[in-house]
Order: sequence, then structure tokens, then C-alpha cells
Amino acid sequence: MQQKFVICVKNQGYEVSLERWKVYRVIPDDKAEIHRQIRVIDESGEDYLYPEEYFTPIEIPKPVQKALISTM
Amino acid sequence: MYFKIIGEIKDKEVIAVGRSIREISRLRRIYGDKRWRKLKGIATVRLSDNTICNAEIHWYEAHGIGKKEFKIKRIIG
Repeated sequence: MQQKFVICVKNQGYEVSLERWKVYRVIPDDKAEIHRQIRVIDESGEDYLYPEEYFTPIEIPKPVQKALISTM
Repeated sequence: MYFKIIGEIKDKEVIAVGRSIREISRLRRIYGDKRWRKLKGIATVRLSDNTICNAEIHWYEAHGIGKKEFKIKRIIG
């Protein structure tokens, strides 16, 4: 399954949980999408819902994805 | 906060304290070196698209600083 990643572009009010310009892994969540939210694993290591507008999607080559996931 | 809490937070529970909070160094650096706790609870919330639902929410709290970074863990029903 294709892993999705995003870059945080906004973290106002969530400076502990999210770091601007950092890459985060997306966890699929159909319910969240309906409400224009996105589920990411944040700095706590747990997944939470955040507004889509806090992030921009990025494409990461598959070989790099595995290495990136191992650091998260 | 990207959602609004309507009414009381119910079933409040401390889920981590101090160094058992993985992001404790970030908490201390950004909000201050206090005795931090991470809590969870259930609340009725209004999302940014005006949907009202129940949700499990998590947040950080310390005496003298208050509650910070309410976030939604999951939408319930």
C-alpha cells in the first residue's frame, strides 16, 4: 500500500505536537477526510486529527519511504 | 484550536506524567519547565466544518500554565 506523507506548513497552537516544515506520516482515515481533517503521527508518536490546511502533501520515492518510516 | 469544545469534558483521565510524556522536552522548551501531565477525555465538539460530534480529546496541562494543545484522537459516532 502506498504510504502518504505531508509537510507541516502551519502549527499555530500546536508548537509541541507539530513542527513546521517537518515531514509527517499520514494514517488513512475516511471519516477524517469527510470533515477536511487529516490523521498524522505527530511529535508524541501517536496519531491525531488535524486540519488538512496545516499540511501540504509530498511525494517520496518508495525506497526512501521505508527509511523515513523507520525514523518516525 | 481547530475545533470548539461544547460543554464539559467528561471521563477525564491522566494518561502520562512528566518524563513518561514522550514529547516532554518540547513541552518544557515551548511552554515552560513545569510538572506536565497529558490527559484525555470525551467531549462534544464543533469541527471547522460545523459538524457537531463526540470525540476523544487529548491535551497537556500544568499548574500555573493551564491547558494546552487540545487535539482530537478519534471521533466517536
